[in-house]
Amino acid sequence: MTLTHLNARGEAHMVDVADKQETRREARARGAVRMQASTLALLADGDLPKGDVLATARIAGIQAAKRTHELIPLCHALALSKVSLEFTLDTEENCVHVEAFCRLNGRTGVEMEALTAVSVACLTLYDMCKAVDRGMIIDGVRLEQKRGGRSGEWSRQAASETSPAATGEKDAISPAKTLKVQFLAELRERFETAEYTLAWEQLPSADIAGVKLALIERDGKFKALLGQRVLCARNEAMSQDGTAISPGDEIAFFPPVTGG
Amino acid sequence: MKIAISVQKATFDTEAEQRRLTAGRLDIGAVVSFTGRVRDTNERPGVTALTLEHFPGMTENSLHEIALEAGERWTLQAVTIIHRVGCLQPGDAIVLVMTASPHRRAAFEACDFIMDYLKTRAPFWKKEHTDSGSYWVSERQSDHEAADRWELS
Repeated sequence: MTLTHLNARGEAHMVDVADKQETRREARARGAVRMQASTLALLADGDLPKGDVLATARIAGIQAAKRTHELIPLCHALALSKVSLEFTLDTEENCVHVEAFCRLNGRTGVEMEALTAVSVACLTLYDMCKAVDRGMIIDGVRLEQKRGGRSGEWSRQAASETSPAATGEKDAISPAKTLKVQFLAELRERFETAEYTLAWEQLPSADIAGVKLALIERDGKFKALLGQRVLCARNEAMSQDGTAISPGDEIAFFPPVTGG
Repeated sequence: MKIAISVQKATFDTEAEQRRLTAGRLDIGAVVSFTGRVRDTNERPGVTALTLEHFPGMTENSLHEIALEAGERWTLQAVTIIHRVGCLQPGDAIVLVMTASPHRRAAFEACDFIMDYLKTRAPFWKKEHTDSGSYWVSERQSDHEAADRWELS
């Protein structure tokens, strides 16, 4: 194993990639900003003094990915074909999980871009929330997966479990391409099902209505989900049929609430 | 505004909660508290027990949001919401909502508002057990009408 950014004399140099074959490169990175529960609640409600935090952090992350070569000295300038950021509010751990995904057809990997996107999105979250919570911690910034190029596929999960996974020829990163669907209270008893996992490819459309249709396709008993008095939450927030969903989301269906 | 939210199996002590709510505060002029209890007669007579289910994570979030919304509508200094889950008997306390404000009107109205929103928005479900069987409690139109009173036009 050698460090590719050092030459034979141990000096820093930029790797010449002119002769490398162009391949599809993808990388996924994650990080988190830990904060007080009250800060997270303000963030969820859009009540922070600087306005829409997540929308701003998303744009910051995308902009940062495009300018990675200006920040990291020996990094090539890449024409990214896709940069996306996802934010998940976690009220159990009191943090915002940040995930960035980058893709291009090119000669060098995009993991630095994904890591930069996560880092700058986290820094922007900090900046947007610091007026109410200076003690926030940016935590666990790491590469989760990469694929394409000479080194092939790498994933944190596979690396921690066994030897590196065999490289497949699938055109997208496979894990997290599922949806967890929960049924609560009376619906759980009626369907005799507490939890169901759907593959992302099974959805006719990327919204709640698509989840219902995919479930009905699997089993006719789920037709009851089309009833008027079935409520739905996406990642613990109330949702409607038209609410857009993403891979890895958690969907829950339940009857009208009767607490108090 | 100080917000305390708890979803718990154990019972609660209203006096202790009030002491906690007002600790060190000499500017609180009014505290209103509402306690909901399990009745032995609801959809059917002879209720022997009640099972309360909730959606962990979302429940706490939605209670927190309801408290924050109350804080936007009224001048509140503190809100405590405690909701019990699990198996309860008739006569058991099930929910506590406590509001504190400089003057009584805000505390009364906010407490009323929080209960109306809790009953129609927080993900809790009741299953009643009677000698003639168990059933999930249906939503009530009157609860929705009560919550609609607070809709901002």
